[in-house]
Amino acid sequence: MVAMLEPELCEKGATIETVLDTPEGKRILTCIQCGMCAGTCPYGEYMDYPPRRIINMLRRGFIEEVFKSDSMLRCVACYACMSKCPRGIRLSDVLLPIVKEQTLINQPEIPAELQKTLQNTLRYGNPMGESSRKRVNWATANGTKVPIMAEIKRPVDVLWFVECYTAYYQRGQDNSRAVAKLFNALGIDFAILGNEEKCAGDCGQLTWESGLFETLTDYNMEIFKKYKFNRIVTGDAHAFNAFRIRYPMYGFNYPVEHTTGLFARCLPQLKPKLTKKLNYTVTYHDACCLGRRAGLYDEPRDLLLAIPGIKLVEMTHNRVNSICCGGGGGGMWLDTFFKQKGMERLSERRVKEAIATGADVIAVSCPYEIYRFEDALKVIPHDKPIIVRDVVELLAEALGD
Amino acid sequence: MNATPKPTNGSWSPSLVAFFCNWCTYTAADLAGVSRMKYAPNIRTIRLMCSGRVDPQFILDAFSKGADGVLIGGCHPNDCHYAEGNYKCLRRFRLIKRMVADLGIEEQRLRLEWISAAEGEKVKTVVNEMVDQLKALGPLGIPKQFAEWDAEMTRLEHAAQTSQSAESEVAHA
Amino acid sequence: MYIPKKHEPVRIGFYICHCGVNIASMVDVKEVAKYVGTLPNVVVSRDYKYMCSDPGQEMIQQDIIENRLNRVVVAACSPMLHEQTFRKATEKAGINPFFFQMVNIREHDAWVHTDRLEATRKAMALARAAIQRVPLHKPLEVKKVAVHPNVLIVGGGIAGIHAALVLANAGKRVYLVERDPTIGGHMAKFDKTFPTLDCAMCVLSPKMAAVGSHPNITLWTYSEVAKVDGYVGNYKVVVRRKPRYVLEDLCTGCQECVEACVYKEPKFRDEFNLGLGKRKPIRLPFPQAIPPVTLIDPETCIELKSGKCKKTCLEACGDRKAIDFKQQEELREILVGTIIVATGYQIFDAKRTPYYGYGVYPNVYNALEVERLINASGPTNGELVMRNGQVPKKVAVIHCVGSRDENTNRWCSRVCCLYSLKLAHLIHERTNAEIVNFYIDMRTPGKGMEEFYNRLSEEGMMLVRGKVADVYPDPTDGTTGRLIVQAEDTLMSRILKIPVDMVVLSVGLEPHPDSDKIRRLFNMSCSSEGWFLERHPKLAPVSTFTDGIFLAGCCQGPKDIPDSVAQAGAAAAECFSLIDKGHIEQEPNTAFVVEKECSGCKSCIPLCPYTAISLLEDKKKAYINEALCKGCGTCVASCPSGSIVQNLFEDAEVFSEIEGLLAPVPV
Repeated sequence: MVAMLEPELCEKGATIETVLDTPEGKRILTCIQCGMCAGTCPYGEYMDYPPRRIINMLRRGFIEEVFKSDSMLRCVACYACMSKCPRGIRLSDVLLPIVKEQTLINQPEIPAELQKTLQNTLRYGNPMGESSRKRVNWATANGTKVPIMAEIKRPVDVLWFVECYTAYYQRGQDNSRAVAKLFNALGIDFAILGNEEKCAGDCGQLTWESGLFETLTDYNMEIFKKYKFNRIVTGDAHAFNAFRIRYPMYGFNYPVEHTTGLFARCLPQLKPKLTKKLNYTVTYHDACCLGRRAGLYDEPRDLLLAIPGIKLVEMTHNRVNSICCGGGGGGMWLDTFFKQKGMERLSERRVKEAIATGADVIAVSCPYEIYRFEDALKVIPHDKPIIVRDVVELLAEALGD
Repeated sequence: MNATPKPTNGSWSPSLVAFFCNWCTYTAADLAGVSRMKYAPNIRTIRLMCSGRVDPQFILDAFSKGADGVLIGGCHPNDCHYAEGNYKCLRRFRLIKRMVADLGIEEQRLRLEWISAAEGEKVKTVVNEMVDQLKALGPLGIPKQFAEWDAEMTRLEHAAQTSQSAESEVAHA
Repeated sequence: MYIPKKHEPVRIGFYICHCGVNIASMVDVKEVAKYVGTLPNVVVSRDYKYMCSDPGQEMIQQDIIENRLNRVVVAACSPMLHEQTFRKATEKAGINPFFFQMVNIREHDAWVHTDRLEATRKAMALARAAIQRVPLHKPLEVKKVAVHPNVLIVGGGIAGIHAALVLANAGKRVYLVERDPTIGGHMAKFDKTFPTLDCAMCVLSPKMAAVGSHPNITLWTYSEVAKVDGYVGNYKVVVRRKPRYVLEDLCTGCQECVEACVYKEPKFRDEFNLGLGKRKPIRLPFPQAIPPVTLIDPETCIELKSGKCKKTCLEACGDRKAIDFKQQEELREILVGTIIVATGYQIFDAKRTPYYGYGVYPNVYNALEVERLINASGPTNGELVMRNGQVPKKVAVIHCVGSRDENTNRWCSRVCCLYSLKLAHLIHERTNAEIVNFYIDMRTPGKGMEEFYNRLSEEGMMLVRGKVADVYPDPTDGTTGRLIVQAEDTLMSRILKIPVDMVVLSVGLEPHPDSDKIRRLFNMSCSSEGWFLERHPKLAPVSTFTDGIFLAGCCQGPKDIPDSVAQAGAAAAECFSLIDKGHIEQEPNTAFVVEKECSGCKSCIPLCPYTAISLLEDKKKAYINEALCKGCGTCVASCPSGSIVQNLFEDAEVFSEIEGLLAPVPV
């Protein structure tokens, strides 16, 4: 198999002038211009400057031209170019963030939707612009009872970082309720931050709004310091990504796990509890931040196969070759921009593949995907009904009562 | 021979004595050379046929003559050109390591590494790492200590002699 | 000639080599020579552009005579390279060659440091160590050990075959050991060879037959080397011969048994055709196999699995009585003086690059499979028919699969560009299909290779410069299995999505998965990739670090057939030079016991891996058998009374070296 991308210590302050002096930057000089990055990029054909051309412009001294183009806005931070690069150049870690930052600075205007989202995240701590006081509402509604750090006033084993989509949006809350149910079933000692939590900032970081990201990092790190816990678990693949890769640059050193990884580890205890038979044919969509980024390919599949009755089928593009849902790197808020540019929505491309498998369920493990795929299914014709479920939702369903 | 830490542009720089086996580590160092890898110039290597030849006295002698660190390089377990010399070296190394610690010499000053003929890169990293550690530890300075002890002995002897002669004078008086 | 007298004062000559600019650019050689000239016992101290050149050596010799030198120290490259050169030079001038000491200031100094002052200091320290050591040197004599004239060759591919024939034709006895049931290796699977496009089997099979019938070659196929003991000139080797359940001496190769097998149709995966064809439990691997002896696969043979077969094969064999279901594994011990390791390579497993769909989409093939598909003796009798029964109309050839990639293998396998062009040509010739070659860089080094590329380009195949990123089924296609090959055409900066019927993956070459085991067996070294390491990349390309063991072919690194054959010839020549000389000279670095200091404590005895040490019962003293001692020095380091001495590495010599290294230098 293709090597997993280990989180790598990169200079957080590298600029276009200094990047080539870092060890990781030096690798950029080894680029053989094979075009693997451009060929594998889901939006490669819409970019004037896919990574290969960026590198050549940089090496020849024409990088300013790249900054002036809006080409880089098309990057959905899916790590495909980086994980297939034969020279092991850490494109998504080192080069592309710098290019994105400079691109944003050089654009006459930033697409409105993205602009609004970044502002919301800064003001309200979530991209939707919801009130931060409503963040915990899901956890207290409908008879659910979820322990909150500020209320229980004792150390816990697991600090569950819920994140925005899973706290505010209806379908995201389904995910959160499922996680809570599974935590309880496994007897895990956990609590959430409730209204004190703010967005982890992964997408701010991936669009390289570095100032916004650092504000959120500072905030969340302060909150973490208030409480005692052993590890952080999150059901949001992007928060997981931020905690694994970027937060350590700011001194964060808690053990971090994604719910998928945690539940897969607990499978021996969990499996006997999965009693309810679910007669679904399921296809699993690899989330970029879990699969290519963290090598969690088998864990979600193991979980699905542990559910009685489930039949797993694979899409054409799976595992390292999976296609992004299009939501990463700010893509979540660039659909209008993409449409203006005549670009196909990646979620639609992905959903077509899922439909072709004949599956009843698209299983996902990142909260963005629920929206993106449910949205895409509304416009892509399909004969057989197909639904989108998070892996944890299916697990919770199989728990029975 | 009294070696004093030599000044490098006015500042001290550690000296690292290495004993490399002919077949693996010495060859790896040759490979590092052929590959033009760059590492700290503080290392001075002595070629032996096998790490099994490393006599604990060599190590102590090197420290006593001014080495700030000693590195031993041998073949990986199972790869010894002489079947098991590296194991013998390891056994001896464990003993000498304790002894060296008892002498108050910091643990990082003595190191054993298995480096195969193909691992030029490892020669580079190990040497650089060790030189960095030695720099952090500062000079060991055993020859200087010896010189001080010698001076003290001479002083004491002198003092003893003078007091003796004084006594005898007193006795004679 | 001047012959130094005993007990004469030590007179050292010191020489420092510029090595062109290799050393002189980083080490101030004049300063070093000046410094060494001030050291005790040093009579002359010089620097010279190339010490290893004839004038350099003559300078030493002249100094020995004119200045009555009795010790020589040369600071130059690694002793691995020129220690022998200078020892010989000093010996020619009449002093014992072991009065010479070499200082490595190139590989260990000039090439690895960046600070000229520090590098110069280091050179001074290293030189001083040698100057302090060399007065203690003793005159020694090289040990001579007889070389057994027989040769073992491991691996019966083209390299092993060629080496075996070269040696056997000159009258040497050769044991050729091959793991598979037949010799021929990968070359036997190829259809045609680049750049001449001559048929691989046509040139190989006469050589295979010659090996099979040569009176000087003992051919053991389906056999593996189990154990190697001893040392150069005298290797004791145990070979494990696996049972083929058909007796080689009695089988005539008629294959009537295969006809008669209770399985009427071939049913099992045919290894020789990489699973593209089927075989029976009893079979001949391929028609030209050498030895032409069938074998039975115990995994699929009913008789061997259950003992309940009608044994129609036995019946067909009749009076020849060649089939023996009771045959057992056999261990054979042989004595040889030299060994050639020619164990070859394996192809990269394309499943490790999952985005090319190998093993998922039936119309994706690796290059070796295509060789079999277009080979007249292959599973389709040379017709390029895919697994779905169709003849492709458009074919993509993807270069560099698994090669030049940090995620898989980092090296360029050297042959893939050329064989890809060859396959493109052959596929086009057989099927008239349109061919698209996707390459990163077109690498065609070697005689006639660029011309070959040139000629084939004229045929009009499409050459796209870009590494293929993705292969997936054409969504608009129903059932034909058409695939889309997606890549950036980097010369046009455009993403191409080309529909094709067949994809050929030009997989690279990689070391055998058990190369580590083989390496240990023969006490060789491996590069970090797993290729066997040659003694010197330029000057000893077929030697290993173990004397008497040589390399040939792809086990040392990817190469084409001409280079493999050339290397096999070179390895054979290395064997000749040992065999014909009749003896080898060994470093006199053995250990001996100073009897009067030995306390007879016996602690050294169990330490020796060669059982060279014993206790003289009458004297109660340890004794080292010089013939068995290999000179590691482990016993020396552990002797509590310090009564064991190792020649060339005496305690006093090492102590003086340490002292010299740590002495202050003037700059």
